[in-house]
Amino acid sequence: MGREMVIFREMKDRVEGIERLALELQELGRGMPVVEKNTRCILSFIHALKFGISDVAELEEEEV
Amino acid sequence: MERKYWNPVLETLPQERLWEIELKNFRKLLSYAKDHSALYREKLKGVDPKEIRTREDLRQLPLTDKEDLRRAQEGAGRGLYGDLLGVPWEDVTTFRQTSGTTGRPVYVPETYESWQWRVEAWCHILWMAGFREADRVFMPFGYNVYVAFWEGHYAAEKIGCEVVPGGALDTKGRINKMREVSATAMMSTPTYGLHMAEEAQKMGIDPKEIGIRRILCAGEPMPGATRRLLEEAWGAEVYDHIGGTEPCGWAGMCQQRDGLHVIEPFFLVEVLDRETMSREAGEGEEGVAVVTPLGRRSFPLIRFNTKDVVVRGKDGCACGRTSMMIKKVLGRADDLVKVRGVLFNPASVEEVLREEFPEVREYEVLLERKGAMDEITLRVEPEQEMGKEYHLALRGRLMERLKMKTNLRFEIEVLPPGTLPRYTLKAKRFKDLRRS
Repeated sequence: MGREMVIFREMKDRVEGIERLALELQELGRGMPVVEKNTRCILSFIHALKFGISDVAELEEEEV
Repeated sequence: MERKYWNPVLETLPQERLWEIELKNFRKLLSYAKDHSALYREKLKGVDPKEIRTREDLRQLPLTDKEDLRRAQEGAGRGLYGDLLGVPWEDVTTFRQTSGTTGRPVYVPETYESWQWRVEAWCHILWMAGFREADRVFMPFGYNVYVAFWEGHYAAEKIGCEVVPGGALDTKGRINKMREVSATAMMSTPTYGLHMAEEAQKMGIDPKEIGIRRILCAGEPMPGATRRLLEEAWGAEVYDHIGGTEPCGWAGMCQQRDGLHVIEPFFLVEVLDRETMSREAGEGEEGVAVVTPLGRRSFPLIRFNTKDVVVRGKDGCACGRTSMMIKKVLGRADDLVKVRGVLFNPASVEEVLREEFPEVREYEVLLERKGAMDEITLRVEPEQEMGKEYHLALRGRLMERLKMKTNLRFEIEVLPPGTLPRYTLKAKRFKDLRRS
């Protein structure tokens, strides 16, 4: 696996970490628009990152 | 890592790896659409996403066309979008609609997530075209319910460019504002880009001196000759892309400026033989682009028949990107018409005019039925007032060149400068009056 792929796997882990944290924050802030709406934005960017980063890393993982 | 790419690994993956990602996301989208979209619950009845393994399998699935969307919009689902919606209606944050030139407009719902996904795809398009943080991007168009340039605006912001909206200004106002803020880039339709250059010259301003280094065009097919004309007028690099309200912007031009890269794996694109719509066109062959945007849940769209007629290119490029290539956009399947038994593409007129008749500033093509015969007329407007002899000579040259290019005999009308309409968004230069 090339160095770039190693980095991609690490980035995928971070993307999942941010998603998990954002979901936890959303849950904690339920009923508070400031939290609900800002976490929704974070999760939308996570969706875009999954397409560019996580999908590629998963492909390599499946191969290994 | 190489800053030439928006995503250096993704954009240089071998084709087979891109396909694997697309297939995985295609299956995911099928499952999602079957569960969340009334349109596809019905359309994909009996389809098991796990059974889709090859591109041949893909072609067994039904296509979606604009009429399907119009019908679904009238469906029982709540709100404006009927059975098109793939999310709870209260999650929708952005309304867009198609222009409605071929029938009732289709309303397109976007959530914050789906909009950001569209914008991300557009970041690929802009980055490929060389847009960078240092650019001050001028947007010379009236912001509206149509999707035109909205994605470009948001994507330019996301890249880090400075975006200057030039909405509520006329053309002169826009040219002055571009000079005032020292804009370095802009986005426009090819028609409007040429019109702006013409207006600047009338104002005594050489467009080259404004300092625009790159222009991203949209909205109309842009023959190479038109692109070169724009480049000469502005002293800028001019880039093309292809997309639409329903499928999003799905391919863009890199700095080689030789064809369009499909934004893979965001979109799964098939180029299908126009007659049968069941065979994929090979390299150099023309076909209709069928597009599936793979990350949009608000408005699931599977195998959308864009009706864009394109020529498939050779995959891969000197820029290092490995994605599927579109060599050329020929025009809209709707615009290809039979005239006296000959298949006619209005874009071929633009190709001839821009390549060989620089003195022609504006034009339109009229197709009428006179008695039992179809008659095709080209109205041209020269750059400046010319004498009768010149008109005759121009008419003769045009008739000859168009006959050679299209195998059709054209009537030619030479009009005084400033007669024909100018367009700020999509130009309507071809009028098939047989339909009216």
